[in-house]
Amino acid sequence: MIKGKENLRICLAASAGGHISQLLKIVDNWNGYSTFCITTTEVVRDKLRQRGKVYIVGECNRQHPIRVIKVLVRCIKAVLRERPDVVISTGAAAGCMVCFLGKIIGAKVIWVDSITNVERISLSGRMVRYIADLFLVQWPESAQRYKNVEYVGAVI
Amino acid sequence: MIFLTVGTQFPFDRLVKAVDDAFDEGVISEEIFAQIGETSYKPHNFESVVSLEKKVFDKHLKKASGIISHAGVGTITIALNNEKPLLVMPRLKKYGEVVNDHQLAIARKFEEFGHILVAYQEEGLAKKIEQLKSFIPRQRKSNAKAVAARISEFLHKIGTSEERLYRRKVDGAFIKSKIG
Repeated sequence: MIKGKENLRICLAASAGGHISQLLKIVDNWNGYSTFCITTTEVVRDKLRQRGKVYIVGECNRQHPIRVIKVLVRCIKAVLRERPDVVISTGAAAGCMVCFLGKIIGAKVIWVDSITNVERISLSGRMVRYIADLFLVQWPESAQRYKNVEYVGAVI
Repeated sequence: MIFLTVGTQFPFDRLVKAVDDAFDEGVISEEIFAQIGETSYKPHNFESVVSLEKKVFDKHLKKASGIISHAGVGTITIALNNEKPLLVMPRLKKYGEVVNDHQLAIARKFEEFGHILVAYQEEGLAKKIEQLKSFIPRQRKSNAKAVAARISEFLHKIGTSEERLYRRKVDGAFIKSKIG
């Protein structure tokens, strides 16, 4: 398996739209890491291509349980094939699933909660908080409200 | 030209109709081009498409003198990056436009900082479109670099942790035994 800087294989997992654009803001400040991406729609494939292999798992939310299962299966396949050492996600549902799957295979989990969660962290974030190894928020208010949550700054 | 975009994941009839109505009232004199996703309301005052390829989207964005959209972070980021005046109408949970009211929260914050204009209801939209013409958005100072540095530091800690170094040593010995 190809490994990059620090000898780590990193999974970037986020839904298309605001979530992935926030994750890319972070990643744009890096180089040398070996990464691959898991996202939800084809629209963003081109934007991600330079960050390694791209897996498209489809959109889902809590209101469509069958779609959630389909997305979950695709996430499992991607994670098992790539065996990341680290998962970094900005949400939402798909990102949350990848974090849990990553944790199961022994990866470290980094969560950056989306900037839209001003007073309270997102539902996905609240779940991932239990397993995250590093949990960052983008508003100082919410860092004060929760334990083991760090505020460094906003990525946008 | 004003570029109206509502994202592709959910319809947003309320916004598209409100802009169309503002046109009827004579508030808008400029040309409008709209990307309306699965919105079922079809505007009669301007051209609209379901979705746009990234390249075409960027072309319309560059050409636009102002943007009207939902309060999605993706669109807000694009508008700020391109220094375009942006007017948003937050999608609301009570109308089933989105799963929670996160768009309302971010719209309030960014309005407070002077980055965007916000119309919270259809009624206020026409007046805000008027303001959009002379609105100069305050640029945001991103801390993405600091966040990236914090994560890099963490990755370095993982990469050089005892546990990993041990795993690498075991892996190395295993590979060596296979080759040798």
